Amino acid sequence: MPGSDGPSLAVAPQAPCLMNEITLPGTLDSLEPIRDYVAQNAAQAGLDKSAVYKLCLAVDEIATNIVMHGYEEAGLSGDIVIAAGKVDNSFQIHLRDHGRAYDPDAHEQPADTDLDLPLEDRRIGGLGILLAKDSVDDLQYASGPDGNVHRFVVNLRQDSQ
Amino acid sequence: MPLDIKSSVEGTTGRLKLAGELDGASAPAVRTEVEKMLTNKLDRLVLLVEELSFMASAGLRIIIFAKQRQPQLKIYVVKPQEPIVETLKKTGFYDAVYVQDSEPGEAAAQ
Repeated sequence: MPGSDGPSLAVAPQAPCLMNEITLPGTLDSLEPIRDYVAQNAAQAGLDKSAVYKLCLAVDEIATNIVMHGYEEAGLSGDIVIAAGKVDNSFQIHLRDHGRAYDPDAHEQPADTDLDLPLEDRRIGGLGILLAKDSVDDLQYASGPDGNVHRFVVNLRQDSQ
Repeated sequence: MPLDIKSSVEGTTGRLKLAGELDGASAPAVRTEVEKMLTNKLDRLVLLVEELSFMASAGLRIIIFAKQRQPQLKIYVVKPQEPIVETLKKTGFYDAVYVQDSEPGEAAAQ
């Protein structure tokens, strides 16, 4: 079954190998340990408190989508593999899964005018992807036969390297 | 950190105290609590969030849900931590709810 191959999938093309990889079930119960993992590794890399929170938020939002849309809605089950590390002048988190592809760029985000609407007129969807993209310097996505990879990139300031 | 949820309704004011982390896993319990509170017709929903250390978009969706269920509802967010204020600002919620440092007084419901 797709999504049950575990952590052995190859890293997507051009994705550098990161350290400290862990594998967690692709369920909502994994969100907290995923945030804990991100917070610990980001703090060790020298990110300040605000950047750590924002990275945790970005990863949490995408991990939630992977679980809800990539696995549960698709009737699939599988793992989420998470890795962290410094790449050149950035700190990166990579999330890998074997669920249905969920490209953040393929889903509509609220427009600026939507954000000014009264709450009762607002659409529910798209807020998570908006927050995820806004909370990191770059969010990259790739999907292939070996699974889906989301890469969260936070540029490191000179004094945190 | 697990989410601790405490709720009460007094007259037309509902109070919901949240402590811990509000994410996609804990949001269904919060939504259930809000749904229960909104079986009453409320003027105010007061979210006491001083001890809420993390809030994902799942928390925003609960606020939208409450407003769509009862559009007259005034929603107060009391003592949010700075990262949560940022989330409210980025998503346009900051100007749509009442963000303040203390619970609203009776006059605020007028």
